[in-house]
Formats: sequence, structure tokens, C-alpha cells
Amino acid sequence: MKRRDFVRNLALVSAGTPVLLNKMNVQSIGKKLFTVAKNNEDRVLVIIRMNGGNDGLNTVIPRDQYANLTIQRNNVLIPETDVLELTTEVGLHPKMTGMKTMFDSGSLGIIQNVGYPEQNRSHFRSMDIWTSGLIDSPADTGWLGRHFDNEYPGYPNGYPNGTHPDPFAISLGYEVSATCQGLMANFSHAVNDPFDVYNLSSGGAINDGTYYGDHMEYLTTLINQANAYGQQVNDAANAGTGSLASLYDLTNPLAQQLRYVAQMIDGGLQTNVYILNVNGFDTHNAQVSTTSTVEGDHATLLERISDAVASFQADIEQMNHQERVAGMTFSEFGRQIASNASLGTDHGDAAPMFLFGSCLNTNIMGNNPTVTDTIVNQAGIPLEYDFRDIYASILKDWFGVPTSEIQSFFEHTVQYYPILGACNVGIEEEDSTAIGLTVDKAIVYPNPASTNAKIRFVAENEWVKVDVFDIQHRKVLAVYDGNLSQGEHNIPMEIHELPAGEYIVQIKKESGLVHSKLVKL
Amino acid sequence: MPDQNQNGPINYSMAPYTGAWTKAEAGHLLRRTLFGPTNQQILTAVSDGMATTVSNLLQVPAMAPPLTFHPDEGVTAFGNTWINDVYPSNATDATATLGARNISLAAWLMKGINEEQFDISQKMILFWQNHFAAIAVSDARATYDYVELLRQHSLGNFRQFVKDMTINPMMLLFLNGATNTLYSPNENYARELLELYTVGKGPQIGPGDYTNYTEDDVAAGAKILTGYLVDGLGSDTITTVTSNYTAILHDTSTKTLSYHFGNATIPNNGANEYSDYIDIIFQQNAVAEHISRKLYRYFVNYDLTTDVETNVIPIMAATMIANNYEILPVLTELFSSEHFYDVSVRGALIKSPLEMIFSMFNSTESIPGFDLLTDSEMYLVLYQFATVMGQAYMEPPSVSGWPAYYQTPAFSQLWVNSAVLKTRFQVSDFMTLLTGVPGNGNNWKFNTLTFLDNLSLPADAPTVIDDIADVFTPKGLSSTQKLLLKAVLTNGLPDFEWTLQYNEYLANPGDPTYSDPVVQRVELVLQQLFHMPEFQTI
Repeated sequence: MKRRDFVRNLALVSAGTPVLLNKMNVQSIGKKLFTVAKNNEDRVLVIIRMNGGNDGLNTVIPRDQYANLTIQRNNVLIPETDVLELTTEVGLHPKMTGMKTMFDSGSLGIIQNVGYPEQNRSHFRSMDIWTSGLIDSPADTGWLGRHFDNEYPGYPNGYPNGTHPDPFAISLGYEVSATCQGLMANFSHAVNDPFDVYNLSSGGAINDGTYYGDHMEYLTTLINQANAYGQQVNDAANAGTGSLASLYDLTNPLAQQLRYVAQMIDGGLQTNVYILNVNGFDTHNAQVSTTSTVEGDHATLLERISDAVASFQADIEQMNHQERVAGMTFSEFGRQIASNASLGTDHGDAAPMFLFGSCLNTNIMGNNPTVTDTIVNQAGIPLEYDFRDIYASILKDWFGVPTSEIQSFFEHTVQYYPILGACNVGIEEEDSTAIGLTVDKAIVYPNPASTNAKIRFVAENEWVKVDVFDIQHRKVLAVYDGNLSQGEHNIPMEIHELPAGEYIVQIKKESGLVHSKLVKL
Repeated sequence: MPDQNQNGPINYSMAPYTGAWTKAEAGHLLRRTLFGPTNQQILTAVSDGMATTVSNLLQVPAMAPPLTFHPDEGVTAFGNTWINDVYPSNATDATATLGARNISLAAWLMKGINEEQFDISQKMILFWQNHFAAIAVSDARATYDYVELLRQHSLGNFRQFVKDMTINPMMLLFLNGATNTLYSPNENYARELLELYTVGKGPQIGPGDYTNYTEDDVAAGAKILTGYLVDGLGSDTITTVTSNYTAILHDTSTKTLSYHFGNATIPNNGANEYSDYIDIIFQQNAVAEHISRKLYRYFVNYDLTTDVETNVIPIMAATMIANNYEILPVLTELFSSEHFYDVSVRGALIKSPLEMIFSMFNSTESIPGFDLLTDSEMYLVLYQFATVMGQAYMEPPSVSGWPAYYQTPAFSQLWVNSAVLKTRFQVSDFMTLLTGVPGNGNNWKFNTLTFLDNLSLPADAPTVIDDIADVFTPKGLSSTQKLLLKAVLTNGLPDFEWTLQYNEYLANPGDPTYSDPVVQRVELVLQQLFHMPEFQTI
């Protein structure tokens, strides 16, 4: 992704498209500038949404907890002998043979117990949280949308263009993805079938010879013409001849969609993010069949995901794109530890995530959940990793986004984990330290902010004074004045009374002055 | 052009419709006569029956006048109406005040549509604005009086309407009647009176002969209409703009009309001579036919086929003549006819920009509801949206109105091209995905929760989608489309999860943790729907 485009794109905001619409672009202006170019702009992230709340305990199975699992969920529990062994402690659902092979060859990673504090068990609210990456603020933008907004301010005005002819993200199906919702527009382009990109209206309109039918044909034609990315997507899919159909079971819907993705990648589409969706994980009943806990709805879903991902990875490798394609799965929550009487499980808390690709730093991150011998009503798996930190780590490792920017996308203090950096040898690292902080840097987060923000910096056992100035350099807020120990500090700033606009936060240390911009909404 | 529909031949009968009366038929009637019916309005129409519904729709209530909100207004206090107020003496201040009053008028026009009640008045005012197609003049009071004239006569006597319009100050300014004098005749209004407003221009059948009138009639008409001046324009002392007959500027000769008007002679009758002339014009049945065609194109279908010319237009025209040129009985008959409900004319028009915009707002019961300044700024944004899409209310592109209402063969398809369609999508995305209409530091979003709560069975996902299709599309959606929209509503989950979520929202009133996801899902459904071609038709 070309960061140096920012200034040029900003100028485009006022060109083209109706003046009136441009007036509304104010929110997207006022982001900070970073001009370091990265070599990872052709990186592709494939996101698979396991919609409905995946039962993590029957997916990544804690082999060392079997005695208590029997107490908690015997009617849905996979027989111990059927579990696919990954390590002594960890196993996979027996239908996930494709992913076991990937794990053995180092192209599958597992992150245990991912969730967020005070898990909301509503599908709708929790999915909003997962797609926005925001817990306390309204879920108005997606986590990748904020990243794209930062990279391409003013979108969609001026796009597509010669430098960026392709969609930034593609959502397979008919619906754009909330993950990619930006301030001004959604960055994802819905593609149901890249070989038939003009079938946008999902089988509605036909010209049956009536006045109405004539309009339907006319409007459909216009909609196709307005579909600025259609031809690019179609051309790329047709050019992606390196993909091997024989690797896929194309009766598996996810496999068919991943094959499309492989074809678009191989065809040279510059799209950075592909989002796919698998429904059906809301397994309150009949999660397993009445005759075997290894069969049933959940088993079928896991088998499809496992097979499809393994096929995709094999295809990507044989096309030699493996160093620029990685993937992840997510679900809005896991399910409860104890099963219910309907051969199912109810909404729970944390659950494992999968990462896949050839650039993984890790095979299993985190510990097996601890299952007790006592059934606690409605108990879920407690969180070990905050999903927002996983997102942040992906942005850092995979897309090379500076950590100071990443921090501004989230409400909490981001913690990074090395998860997708194995192919980064030779790529310039902007931040030398793991957290991206040096003595001459400070990070405001969230940024923009509406009520409370924090300033993050390192001190060296010294006197520190933190103040906020407006753009006329008038001091508007005294934040801190006192001694600080050596190390990192996160100082809260009560900014709710400041008028909306841009501010400078100044940190005056014995070792020197540091400034950071703050945008108050 | 189609001469039959999927189910058989087109029914051209103007006899009273007695067939099924369901949401499909009631919705058709309401979408044609209102800018954006709500689900509840459609259900009310279903239970009231056709006759009562048509009768209820055909009313024209008074409108509260436009109010001052802009600081450039130099005379009238904020929140008061300026329609009978003078202008400042100072030229700079007067110009600024005119600007303030014009945008007050623009916001007021949009507010009128947005706050339409269960009546046809807003559609009628736009119909007549397209018919007379005058452009706002240099005094907003005259512009307001013109719009008010359109409203007052909307369903009334068309002959009297034309008479009043002929000496309306804005029209006298717009088509040069105010400079049409004995010494310097100006044919501009006299020509349009015949060509566009009354008998209409037919094929040329001889030198200067257009079937219904001749060039000599235009010249005679101009003489008949001489002598009217406009007073009070932009005045700092006179509170209203008026037209005044000035005898010394009137041509007192006896004028003779062509054989199309029975070679009638019109002797001098001073200030009332124009009225005598219009009475003679209205003796031609062509007036009734011309207006019937325009009403048909606006309310039913653009295509005046031979069958329509044979079976529909003569009946409408006969009703108009039998009722002394009253419009109300013509529309009562039309909206009650078998032909109006024929499936072939449903969805036969593409929404105009104003119809497209206000079908979104009105059908979701969305009004801004802030304060005068904020609401007005938001309404100005909508006026601009419509302008960008090609329908600036007070600035029709020519004296013939908007081409989509008359230009063969494309007609309403002229409202959209690929660029305009993108703008339509941007505007609907602004309302569903993004911030909504901005104004004075606030944002106006859809009244999504009220819209949802007022559907038939909001907790039931399939019914929500069925209702949405019934409200917004003329012929419904395919089962595939409905499944797609339902999947958006439920976020791909089983239907009962939507039920749970909706009931949780009901159980926790005012708690955005529960209402926000509900709002978001419905708005995502609307976003998808607004991108479907079906939504663009009416």
C-alpha cells in the first residue's frame, strides 16, 4: 500500500463528483501523514467469517481436559480416540484432516481463547464489535475501514484511478463487509462471481416485455456501467489461469469461493483483502447427529472450512504466491463449556482463531482452556487474547502499518504479538522496537477521539509536563506535570470539553520535546 | 412497445375497478399519488377500500408559509414569514435578502414534500410546476405566490387556473407578459398559452397551422393580453407583488381568431379581455385532451399508444368537459379505473429524483425534527441532491418542463444514466451506511426504529422483508432477492436470532446496545434495496 499517495489523494477530494457530496468529506480529512513506502503493498489477507458463534471446544480440542469435558458436554463430545492429534495437548475435530495436514507442514496457526472483555452474547452486537474492532464506541467504521481511510483519504471520490484500478477489498457474495466500512464509503466491493460480475442484482430483474421489464433491463445495464470495478475483477479472474480446479471440491461453497479468490490473485488483481462468510455456526441444537458426535451440522461446517482452506493453500503454493497470501478465521463468540440437552451448545465467550499461510511465526499461541469438573451455569471460555491485538498484529506484521497509526485505530492500549512476520525479511521495518515507541515518539489513542484519549510515551525517570495546544498554539489543557519512572506511560487526557478540531499534544521531558497530533471529534 | 402483459391483454377500460384490493393495488395507488407511502398508510388504504382511499387522497390542504432562517434576511425576523414583507432599501442588502428568501423557499418546498399528509397535494404541485414550468424570478414573494397558485388550483377548475396564471406576476415576468404592450407586443406567453398550457401544439397541417391553432392566433393572443404590468417587485415600500392592468398599454382593436376557434372575434374588453379569450380557447376539446394526456403521462404511463388514445384519453377528456374543466372528477375516475390498476402500468415509470429521494425519507417516516435553522439546512441539502440528479424544483430546464415527462421515446428513463445512478447510490448510501444529511452540526438519519416498529410483524424476519418490498417496490422482489435481504437482516443467522434481537430491543427501550444493531441491520437491508433496479421504479 502506497503511503506516499496521501497528499495527492487529499487534493483529489475536491475534484470530480458533486460538490455537495464533497462537503461531507470533512470527517475524513485530518489524519496524520506518514510517507514511508513499504514493500508489502501486494500482500493479501483472506478473512473467513464463521458466522453464528463457533464451538471452539469441539474445533480445537484440549486433549488434556478430557475428563472434565466428559462431565461438561458428554452428549456432544468427540470421542477421545477420534481427535486428530496436533500436539500432546491439542487436537482437531476429526473432520479437519485438511487443516491437520497444513498444521503439520507449518501453514496453519492456532490462537487460543480469543475474545474481548465482558463478552456480549448477542450475535448482532458481538459481530458489530468484531467487525468494528470497537467496544465502547459506536460501531460506525470497520477495523480495516479505518486502516483504508488512513491510506486513501477521500475514498470513494477519485477512485478507481490509474494507480488504484482495483477494489481495495472484495467481499464474496452480495453484501459488502462491515469490516471494511470507512468514514465515507465501504472499501469492500461485493463480488458473487468474478466471471459474472454484472449479475449484481441477484436474479431479480428480467425484461419480460412489459414497460417495467424494459426499465429493469435499462437500469440493470446502467448499474453495470456504474460498477467501476466490474471489468477489472472480471479480467483478473479470466487471467488467473494458474489456479488448478482439480485441487478443489467445487461442490463445497467455500471451496468455490476460495478458488475464485485464488484466480483473482493469480490474475493480478491488486486487492488486499478478501472476505468470505460461512453461515450456520449457531448450533443450539443438533450440533452433532443423534448417532455420532463426529457427524452432524458442525462436523460438516468444519470439514468444509478445513478442506477448502487446505485446497486454497495448496493452490496458492503451487502458483508460488504463498509469500504474499495469508488468512484468518473469526467468529463472533465461542460457545458455552457445558452442552445443552438438545445436542447443542449455547452462546459463550472466547474461542480459538485460525491463521493460515506460509508466513506464520507461530503454530499454537496460548494455552488450552481450563475445563473444571463442575458445571457452572452459562460459563464460557475466558479470554486469553484480545481479538483487537490480533488485528493490530496482523496490520503490523502483514501490511507493515506503523504502530503509531495502528494504535489510533483502537480504543485500548494495543499489545502486539509476532504472528505473521516470517516472510518480512528484507522488508523495511519502520519501528525498531516491538511496541513502536522510542524516546522521541508519542502516540495519541484513540485518534480521532471524542471524550477521553490517552497519550503514550516512554520516560527515563525524569520530570515530565504534558499539555495540549490548539493550532494557534494556545494552551487549552494541562494534562500532567510531575515525575515519571523509566518506561512506558499511558496518561489519560480529559478532552470532552474541547471544541472539535485539531490539537497538538506536547510532552516536555528533560530529554527533549515530543509532539503528537490529536483530532477531537 | 408492449401491447400486453405477462397475464394477457392490457385492460384499457375506464370503468370502475372492482378487482382484488390488496397491498399491491393500494401500494400502486399510493406510490403514484404520494412521494413515499408508509407501510401503515398502505395497510390503511387496504382496509378503507379503493373508493374511500381515492376520495381521501384527492384533497389539497393549506400549507404554512416559508419562514426566515438565514442571517442574510434584512427585514423579517428569524422564524417569521417574509411573504408579505418589503425588501431593504440598500441594493446590497436587498440582494442578500432575496438570496435568503429564495433558500427559505427551496427548503420550504422540500419540507412540504417531506411532511406530506395522506393527500395528493405535493404530487399535484409538482405536476403543475412541470406544466407551467416557470423559473423563480427576482422577487421571492412572487415566486411564493406562484407556487401557492399552483397549490390552490391543484384539483380545481382548470379554466380559472389558466386565467389566474395568465395574469400571475411571476408568469408575467417569466414569459414577458409584463412587457407585452400596445406599442411593443410580445408573443412569448401567448404562444406558450396555446402550445403548452391549453390546446397543445399538434402536427403542422398548413403554413403556420398547428392543428389546434395558427401563428395568427398567437399574434392575436398577444394583443389580447396587452396591458398588464407588475408592481412592487423588490420594493422597499410595497409588501406584495401584484399585476395591474394599465389601460393605455392595452391594444383596444378587435382581434379575430382562426377557424380553429370558429373565427371568433374578440372586441376590446379591457382588463377582462384575457378572460374572454381563455373562455374561447376552452371551447376546444383539445384543451381537455391535452391536459388528460399530461395527467396520464404523469400518473399512469408515459406511453400514449393508439389504444390509450382510443380508450383512455377521450374518456378523461369527456369527464373533464362534462365537469366544466374541474380536475378532481377526472382524477377520481382515473384512480378508480380498471386501466389504472392494470398490471402492465405498474412499475412503468422510473422515479424522478424527488420521488427517489422522498420515497426513502417519507416511507421511513423520517423528518429532521431539529429546529428551524437545522431542518432548513438539511432540506437545502435535499434540494441540492435533487438538483445534482436533474430536478431543481424552481428551475425546470425549459418552458416545456423536465424532458423526462415529455421527451419521446425515453421519457422517465431520461432521469437516470450511469453517472446519475451512481449519485443516487451515493445519496442512499449516505443515509444508510454513513452519517446522513448534515445541517447545522447535526445529522439527519432515517427514523429506522419507527419504520421497523410500524411494519406488520417486526420481530419476524421474512415479514420484515416482505413489507419492505411492498412499501418500496412496485412489483415486489424475487424470492432470491428476498432471501438475500433476509440474510442481510439476520446477518446470515437463523430467523429466530432476529426475533430474539428485536425482542431484546423492545425489552430494553432506549438502550443503544440493543437498538443499534437492529438499526444497523435494517439500514443495511435498505442500502441493498436502494441499489436494486426495482427500487428505482414506481
